[in-house]
Amino acid sequence: MKKECIAMLLAGGQGSRLYVLTGEMAKPAVPFGGKYRIIDFPLSNCINSGIDTVGVLTQYRPLELNSYIGSGQPWDLDGSTGGVHILPPYQGAKGGSWYKGTANAIYQNIGFIDLYDPEYVVILSGDHIYKMDYSKMVARHKEANAACTISVMEVPWSEASRFGIMAVDADDMITEFAEKPKEPKSNLASMGIYVFDWKALRQYLTDDEADPASENDFGKNIIPNMLNDGQRMAAYRFEGYWKDVGTLESLWDANMDMLSPESGLDLLDEEWPIYARSVSAAPAFLSADSAVTHSAVNRGNEIEGVVENSVLGPNVIVGKGAKVSYSVLLPGTKVADGAVVEYAILGENCSVGANSRIGGTPDSVDYDTWGLTVLAPNCEVAAEQTVRPGIMLDRSGKEVSKK
Amino acid sequence: MKGLHGIIFSYERRNDLRELGEIRSSASVPVGGRYRAVDFALSNLMNAGATDVGVVLHGQYQSLLDHLGSGKDWDLSRKHGGLKILPPFNYQKDWGTLPFRGKMEALQGVRSYLDTIRQDYVALMDGDLVANLPLKEIYEKHIASGADITVVCGNDSFRTDNGSYFEKDAENRVTDVLYQISTPRGYRGLDVYIISTELLKKLVDECNAKDLFSFRRDVLRAKKDTLDLRVYIWEGFAAQIHSVQEYYDRSMQLLDPAIRRDLFRPERPIRAKAVDKSSTYIGADGQCLNSLVADGCRVEGRVENSILFPGAVVEKGAVVRNCILFKEVTVHAGANLAHIIADKYVEIMEDRTLMGHATYPIVLAKGSKI
Repeated sequence: MKKECIAMLLAGGQGSRLYVLTGEMAKPAVPFGGKYRIIDFPLSNCINSGIDTVGVLTQYRPLELNSYIGSGQPWDLDGSTGGVHILPPYQGAKGGSWYKGTANAIYQNIGFIDLYDPEYVVILSGDHIYKMDYSKMVARHKEANAACTISVMEVPWSEASRFGIMAVDADDMITEFAEKPKEPKSNLASMGIYVFDWKALRQYLTDDEADPASENDFGKNIIPNMLNDGQRMAAYRFEGYWKDVGTLESLWDANMDMLSPESGLDLLDEEWPIYARSVSAAPAFLSADSAVTHSAVNRGNEIEGVVENSVLGPNVIVGKGAKVSYSVLLPGTKVADGAVVEYAILGENCSVGANSRIGGTPDSVDYDTWGLTVLAPNCEVAAEQTVRPGIMLDRSGKEVSKK
Repeated sequence: MKGLHGIIFSYERRNDLRELGEIRSSASVPVGGRYRAVDFALSNLMNAGATDVGVVLHGQYQSLLDHLGSGKDWDLSRKHGGLKILPPFNYQKDWGTLPFRGKMEALQGVRSYLDTIRQDYVALMDGDLVANLPLKEIYEKHIASGADITVVCGNDSFRTDNGSYFEKDAENRVTDVLYQISTPRGYRGLDVYIISTELLKKLVDECNAKDLFSFRRDVLRAKKDTLDLRVYIWEGFAAQIHSVQEYYDRSMQLLDPAIRRDLFRPERPIRAKAVDKSSTYIGADGQCLNSLVADGCRVEGRVENSILFPGAVVEKGAVVRNCILFKEVTVHAGANLAHIIADKYVEIMEDRTLMGHATYPIVLAKGSKI
């Protein structure tokens, strides 16, 4: 079945900078914004952009991600001529290997892409929160008659040295690419979203695979090689909200952004819906004793305490006299009566015992030692315990270092 | 084959539902913040392992059809069996102008469908019963008891519009069938019956031959001494949505945590159609107390003792007390509402005041702008 354009979603990342949160699942499966998971954003962007065929490349702890994606029905990606396909590494007649890098992951699935014989392939990342119309980017790619188009956004000059930076000419064609340059020549940062001519990419992937010195990575190998060869490389300027949620701090930030549509992340806006697989639970109940302000609540919530500036996933319970502020509570978390949770991320199905204290405000301790407090999924904190700011606990309740 | 087949009835016109019932059948009345009444019957059947369900319709069924879709939300979109929508396709009376007069007439209207039922037993249910019944247990008890028909009753004599009431002996045999009584007595029938497919077909044919149409009069009452009719008593919450007052009173009961625990059990989840809405946002000055709030709402004002369906908006300075706001109702700044049931897409403009009373909740028709 020929398709003009298909998408390949790199979802194999371990997400090691999310530490205990990704102990048992791939990063794209991490819950976000109450009812979503990170991967809902690229998947919803695909279907909203008219891309109905998506390959999801997984290898690290894929169980949760696989069962979440299922048939792809929540995203309307269960069509008979395309849909979402999970693509783990596999063994062929000549053996096989784990995905060595982002480019190798696509290389190993050339057969899958060839099934659809596409003109263009969109390469996506599974750890970004944004709403983007890929069809506009593909249109830019066609107009520019490019071999590769990279979406870019302007970042503050002061932060430019943290990104992959593109220098462009007057037509926004890329002239130079530098990964985390000390002295950036532009403030156009790559968002890690690429459109390729499939014929060109296929050739570069094959050549790259033959090069034993290559790290088989898009940013480090494929893009620089194409630039060196003088291929036409276009920049596509994206304006709007975009955040890489690869770290605990950025994940927390993005959740807080969701509470303030001024941030640019307006999930109540239904022009560009984000779809999710939803759970069966009654609507949120906020009791007569509750006080919920500037917060997101979800189905299955039973709230009797104070919740402020926080994001609560489905089936979260906050007991009487408990207080949750500036925190992100992932689905199924239980905060018992009288407990206080501040500046924390609590993993799925955590439980916090009565009158315990989790985390604290930035001014509660010496600022240099302050940080978000994070509990791994299924972690249980007994009653009357204190977990200091900046501490991470694994699922057995043991302290884990961020280093 | 073994197992239970479901037939859900949604053909009756409930005049006492006023504006709520004008545009939809009672089975598709929104309930509890994110459900339609029929979700309960469908989920009860699904949780009992039923894979085949027929829904008998007659008039005002657009809303119900939209809601049911292919039935996939209840795992009823299947290669074999699954959801079957049964409009009056071979109704022999005046084409579509008169509703079915009773369940037996409705079943005569879909007689050929009855021959396709693969299961040995059928659960007959009304589409507007809000309860979480252990249908599997009821079905097993029915087989064990050797009864011809099991009649499921609530353990109260709560008055419901045009309700049926059953009296029983110590062995749970039905001794009397009562209806149209002003002071209820006995056990309140929930219009849920378990019967073998074979007996059901026999009774339908017999009623057809004699031009009889009512299940409770021509079968239950007429045959109470010749058939083995047993009562199963359901001790939990069971609401029938027959009038606005009943709808309102029963809805407000859902604010009681004990009733929610009874109705929304993790082991028998109630499934509803998926809505693609974001999380609900409670604003910095918002107050939301003793209320049920579905997905995608925005509360910047004050909400008390109310039920909000997906996408309801209460702006700053607005006050909503003892109200039920359906999907995407907007209450603009400064408006003040009490005891109001606002149907879908109703918009209350700034600073309007509307007050009903607990004994007469005001219904605002779908899409009205006030």
